[in-house]
Amino acid sequence: MIVVKPDGKYARLRAGTALVLLLSLTFAACLTALYRGAKSLPEFPKTDPVTIHEARIEQIRGALPAGTAAVGYVTSIDNEKIFLYERTLRDVEFLAQYMLTQYTLAPVIVHNSPDHPLVVGNYITGAPDPALLAKNALVPLRDFGDGLILYRKDRKP
Amino acid sequence: MTIPVLLSLAVSTAIGTLLSFALVPAPERRPAGILFRIAAGAVLGTGLTSCLCFLCLLAGMPRAVFVVEAAAVLALAALVFFVFRKNRLKNGPGEAEPAGRFKFRWALPALFCGALLASAASFVMATLREPHGKWDAWWIWNFHARFIYRSGEAWRGMFTEGLDWTHLDYPLLVPLSVVRSWQYAGGETLQAPVLLAGLFTFAAAGAVCAALALLRGRNQGFLGGLVLMGTPFFVVLGAAQFSDIPLALFFLLSFVFVFLHDRDAAGGNGLLVLAGLAAGLAAWTKNEGLLFFILFVLARLVLTAFSGGGKEAARQLLWIAAGAAPVLAVVAVFKVNLALSSHLFAGQTFQQVMPRLFDPHRYYEILKAYVLTGLSFTQGFADIRTGIHFNPGLVNVILLAAYLALIGVRIDGRDRLNLQAGAAVLVLMLAGYFAIHLVAPYELNYHLMTSLNRLYMQLWPSAVFLFFMAARTPEQALAGGAATPVKERLIREKHRKKGRRP
Repeated sequence: MIVVKPDGKYARLRAGTALVLLLSLTFAACLTALYRGAKSLPEFPKTDPVTIHEARIEQIRGALPAGTAAVGYVTSIDNEKIFLYERTLRDVEFLAQYMLTQYTLAPVIVHNSPDHPLVVGNYITGAPDPALLAKNALVPLRDFGDGLILYRKDRKP
Repeated sequence: MTIPVLLSLAVSTAIGTLLSFALVPAPERRPAGILFRIAAGAVLGTGLTSCLCFLCLLAGMPRAVFVVEAAAVLALAALVFFVFRKNRLKNGPGEAEPAGRFKFRWALPALFCGALLASAASFVMATLREPHGKWDAWWIWNFHARFIYRSGEAWRGMFTEGLDWTHLDYPLLVPLSVVRSWQYAGGETLQAPVLLAGLFTFAAAGAVCAALALLRGRNQGFLGGLVLMGTPFFVVLGAAQFSDIPLALFFLLSFVFVFLHDRDAAGGNGLLVLAGLAAGLAAWTKNEGLLFFILFVLARLVLTAFSGGGKEAARQLLWIAAGAAPVLAVVAVFKVNLALSSHLFAGQTFQQVMPRLFDPHRYYEILKAYVLTGLSFTQGFADIRTGIHFNPGLVNVILLAAYLALIGVRIDGRDRLNLQAGAAVLVLMLAGYFAIHLVAPYELNYHLMTSLNRLYMQLWPSAVFLFFMAARTPEQALAGGAATPVKERLIREKHRKKGRRP
């Protein structure tokens, strides 16, 4: 048995202090977390952002031909910048949108590239750049509104 | 869909609990013993059924999972029946230290229940806010579950270069646990990942509390549970539906089983098998689990070899390996046949790694982040707007250090080896994480900010458990202690040498 205990006549006082300190702080931490959670709850939208975006992106599925295994993806910035912006903590929203598109459309694989016969356009920060569309030879097949467009690739990559 | 999801969790809990009874046939009638059986059983069962689900997928029979699990329950129930008939009424695993007088016996259970309710409410609110979980949940874990479930027989299609950004090297314990719950439910429901996250989170609190109650007395158990639930990030990360809390729980169980083994021979080698199983399931949860498995086994092997000789170390290693082998075989099949190479190492050349290894500034930056996060991680995710900074909050390592300084240490001789091994494993895990941060190809600040808090939290339940295994219990401290303190003894010896009375 190894025992190291605080010495002196105040040993019991120290032990009591330790217990009061630990119990009060841990319990206060639980209540603080609860209070913060309850306080911020009304600030949150009735429907969480993932569910909202899921409902938005889910419309694409119905427009995809049966048996579609993979689609491409474009957004307001070049595809190479989607991950770069997140890793440099410049803007995480582009990656979040790409991930949500993949999360929603699974098991269809959403490639981070416009070089596919069918391409999902997901624009959260404004209208698509015509130059980018021309460069990638993308022709709109269907506009679902709210920045969501399904494209057809005009020529083979 | 709630009932089928709950049924899936009940079946996995039954499998885990029956297995624990088959391997450790000691009837335990104390509430802590029953709670620990159920908490550990639920977690081990979840891991085992995810392995069964994986094997069914590999065999091309995803629907066979019901039959396989029903057969497993029946076989284990029969085994437990025969084992109990053969070994009637042995002592329970481990005996808590005799409880001294404690004036406020009601206070700790009351506070614990209050904290449990508050944590449960916090968990529910976090889930209501983000029912799909946080970023990594729908980037990795729930996405993998969704893809596998929706693909049916074509589930292998997920392991393709086009999806490598979703970390296809990560093991499948959590995704497949969600998949099997969906199979029970007959369709996708958010209740599956949510209930699974709740199970792991509160099983961790329950396991810490029950294990400490078994080994050190019920008050120590309540204190351990309180510290864990009083850690805001613990509940937040649990509700986030990541794999870090399940991983933390497997680390914890591995430690607890070896403590129980060394406390009481009645548990026998079954406890070592369960320790091996838990460590193996850690490797099936996240890649960090592989590092843990190696370190856990090595630490046990080395310290047992020193204390009990090489023969005893080899014997224990065999029992641990027996528990881990089936799961490690599943991990090996996954890694060899399906998993894509890890982003941390793929395509990295010696020339790319060397400058990072010899960059003193990089060491300094990582060390600074480790120290700051070590003092602050209990408060939540790092905020990318403010970066890593000092934010200790109410519950942190400083509080535990102050508590230990005030209350003192009391280590049972039977726990000494395991405390040394446990501390060594935790320190080496941190060293391993440090090495990964050092060589990883990511932007350093980004990598540290997005991973370090979670990495600390993976070790936190084990650290809390080990901490309260070493700290004096409230009743011992308030009673003044029965044994001769080392410090007093040293002072007495010093005075004796000088030839005068203390």
